[in-house]
Amino acid sequence: MANPAEELDVNPPIREPEEEEVVEELNGDEEGEEEEEEEDNEGEDDDTESKSQTRKGRSSADRINAESLFRRMRAAPVPVRVHDVIVRGNQKTKDHIIEAELEAAREATTLQELLEASRVANSNLRALDIFDSVNITLDSGPPELPGTTNVVIEVVESKSPLTGQIGVYTRAEARSSSLEASLKYKNIFGYGDIWDGSIVHGYDNSAEVGLGMYLPRFRGFSTPFTSRLYLSTQDWLKFSSYKERSLGLSLGLLSSKYHELVYTIAWRNLIDPSQAASASIRRQLGHTFLSALKYTFKFDQRNSYLRPTNGYAFVSTSQIGGLAPDSRSLRFLKQEIDLRYAVPFGFYNTALNFGVSGGVSFPWGSGYQNRPSSVPERFFLGGNSSPLCSLGGPSALWGFKTRGLGPNEPRRKGDSERDFVGGDAAVTAFADLSFDLPVRWLRERGIHGHVFASVGNMAKLSENEFRNFSAPKFLETVRTSVGAGIVLPTSVFRMELNYCHVLKKQEHDQARSGVCVTFSASS
Amino acid sequence: MDLVTGQEVLDEKRSEDDHNISSWFTSTKNLSEKPLAKPSSSTKRPASSSMNLLEDLFFFFFLTRALITHTNAIMEGDQETEVYTLVARKPSFDLPTACPNCLPAYIYLKLAQLPFELAFNSTFPDSDELPYFENGTYVAYNNEDGGVIEKLKKDGIVNLDVPLQTLPEYLSLKALIVSWLGEALTYEIWVGTEGISTSKIYYSDLPWVISKALFYKQTYMAKNRLGITKETAEQREKQIYKRASEAYEALSTRLGEQKFLFEDRPSSLDAFLLSHILFIIQALPETSALRCKLLEHSNLVRYAEKLKAEFLEASSSSPSPPLHSFPSSFSRKGSKPKSKPKVEKTAEEKKFKKRARFFLAAQFLAVVMYLSVMGGGSSDELEYEDEDD
Repeated sequence: MANPAEELDVNPPIREPEEEEVVEELNGDEEGEEEEEEEDNEGEDDDTESKSQTRKGRSSADRINAESLFRRMRAAPVPVRVHDVIVRGNQKTKDHIIEAELEAAREATTLQELLEASRVANSNLRALDIFDSVNITLDSGPPELPGTTNVVIEVVESKSPLTGQIGVYTRAEARSSSLEASLKYKNIFGYGDIWDGSIVHGYDNSAEVGLGMYLPRFRGFSTPFTSRLYLSTQDWLKFSSYKERSLGLSLGLLSSKYHELVYTIAWRNLIDPSQAASASIRRQLGHTFLSALKYTFKFDQRNSYLRPTNGYAFVSTSQIGGLAPDSRSLRFLKQEIDLRYAVPFGFYNTALNFGVSGGVSFPWGSGYQNRPSSVPERFFLGGNSSPLCSLGGPSALWGFKTRGLGPNEPRRKGDSERDFVGGDAAVTAFADLSFDLPVRWLRERGIHGHVFASVGNMAKLSENEFRNFSAPKFLETVRTSVGAGIVLPTSVFRMELNYCHVLKKQEHDQARSGVCVTFSASS
Repeated sequence: MDLVTGQEVLDEKRSEDDHNISSWFTSTKNLSEKPLAKPSSSTKRPASSSMNLLEDLFFFFFLTRALITHTNAIMEGDQETEVYTLVARKPSFDLPTACPNCLPAYIYLKLAQLPFELAFNSTFPDSDELPYFENGTYVAYNNEDGGVIEKLKKDGIVNLDVPLQTLPEYLSLKALIVSWLGEALTYEIWVGTEGISTSKIYYSDLPWVISKALFYKQTYMAKNRLGITKETAEQREKQIYKRASEAYEALSTRLGEQKFLFEDRPSSLDAFLLSHILFIIQALPETSALRCKLLEHSNLVRYAEKLKAEFLEASSSSPSPPLHSFPSSFSRKGSKPKSKPKVEKTAEEKKFKKRARFFLAAQFLAVVMYLSVMGGGSSDELEYEDEDD
């Protein structure tokens, strides 16, 4: 019986270090030995339990066989063919969900490829988050077919399908980070589906209640499908005199490493309980119907999200609203671009980060040049987040308060404050030099210092204002701030304690030179 | 006068000196304040020829002033301008604004012959703020101080009722029109005709889903306001219709063949009654019971048609110069007593907020220090433990 698997008299390396050795030898340097892999002995029929019992009774002959196999594998690819994929231990989960992860393994022609594919499949299955444990075993194939192997997947489904979690995240639709508490119910229908109910409190005065559903595989598409029904409110009374309430459904149609496509349909209502809004906000109060498609292309090659010292990133977000047969829905086009670049210097972990973010938003449809753009779709600069970490379009600028700059209008008579109504085009840029602090205790905790400078500006383009737009004037009225501070990265968020000095601002801007604190989510 | 072309011309001269203009304004204002009628009374120009010349001069001054201040308002946004705007719901059924709450305000301003612009808000059918009247940063919402008309009277913008408010019949007629006829109209729109007309009035610019949801909401709220429940529906309906009939009878008798309800001067009650009659005749379907009751009183119908022809259809083309409006009149009364308690509140609030902020900041720092000392960057949670079978 010239079954190559038979020759694998490997001492089943159930103990972790030994198995890791095996895997490392086979596949070079790998990190995160998460999976367990075994080579079964010849003649034993899928009896994994007996392996553990016979572990201690292995003779040195098996070890010699194993070593010879490894020598063969290191020398040349060992040909093998997958005969069958056997799934065990799943009571609720459908077979095809699990087998779908093994597609690459089925096509493997050599043992090395098979091991690699199995490793990937194992991590994918664990990432589904519905199993307590996943084991992939390569068993010998039927004795009459030489050169074949069976792949056996053993899963243990989660006993308690209900889990709760609390965390700080940055969601795709949200513009700032938020604190989220959610309750998840996993795998009700056996498709790997995860249902969750969540309550989110955002740092930009927003609250949201939602029900979501996540499907890892939808009708043959290899990308996960997410949907979320939400009811959210955002309170901008203090800055722009309106409150935004919205009831909507967002569907994540495509989600891969670089691309993301989300469709949102929502009923949005703007109200002003204070009745002190400025003229242009007053005109926007009311109900709108939103049907929009958002595509994000993200390419992030930086070595870290919280403290990038090397690499570059590019994110482009395009949004088109009004995709409904009804012409009375909100029609707009929005495009945002982010560019980041980090240059490392050799000493003290110093790095120079550059970044540029720009965005433009414009209505479309009949009479689009005269129509005002919708206020929630405009850009607002300023706030308590750091430009270094925000990759969602122009939004942050050191030294300026939330919604603290840009076009503004006087409120109703009797109220001396002004409403910041946002701009249709916004640009921000920053440069940040980060360095380790000389104190070792701080260095170990990741606490470092930085010196930064940032510029930003906004302009109104709708209602025929684009005719009056001129680049020199735009550059002339740009806002600038510089400063220095200390960065404290924690596992939950990244906090900066800065001293900012606003070099240039315009009349009515809400900017303050002094100590300012910023928070950014760590995901 | 085309304000848009005027603005383009003046855009070229952006460096106009405001101080010169404002001093020029005050001088013209002093000249103009004497011979012209007060803003609150009805408009009858003096007939003498010397007055005509003066008036032509004033016309020219005010025209240029309106142009300049309008431009300045557009550029700076915080100067008070002479342009009055009434924001109402969209027109339909051959009415300048189809909403029965907005129409009285429109008619009132037309009766007072105050030139104003009409702007539309078609996305907020369930708001009680509409109609609102604005002039620069001054706004009069409908849900404050008893309505737009009352607020305009109080703030001295335009008051047609000055000599009438002391009459005893004024108050009783007002109660009759505003409450009994108002209720009848609300009932007829939402319950009597089952909201047939509402889609054109309120939901013409909203998608179907939203308009259906808002229709149910508004019907429910109307029934609540009228006190209509399953048990009381029939009885309430009879009561409302009976009261409406009696009110029509009384008004018809009172009106006779007069032009206005009170002597020869229009009043706010004329605005309410006219809007009620026009709305019922034009916007409600012919099967409406209330409409049939109204049509029995031909003198009311004639009264409505006459006033409509005179005030609503004739004066829409040429805007007469703003002879009645001066910034001083409402800048005096425009500052609301609301601002006082607001100032006090914010001082206390600020103090509290400052303290709360310091406390929160200290808490945060403590938590962060603890986390960073104990956390220390070990966020590698990807280590899965290998398990035995």
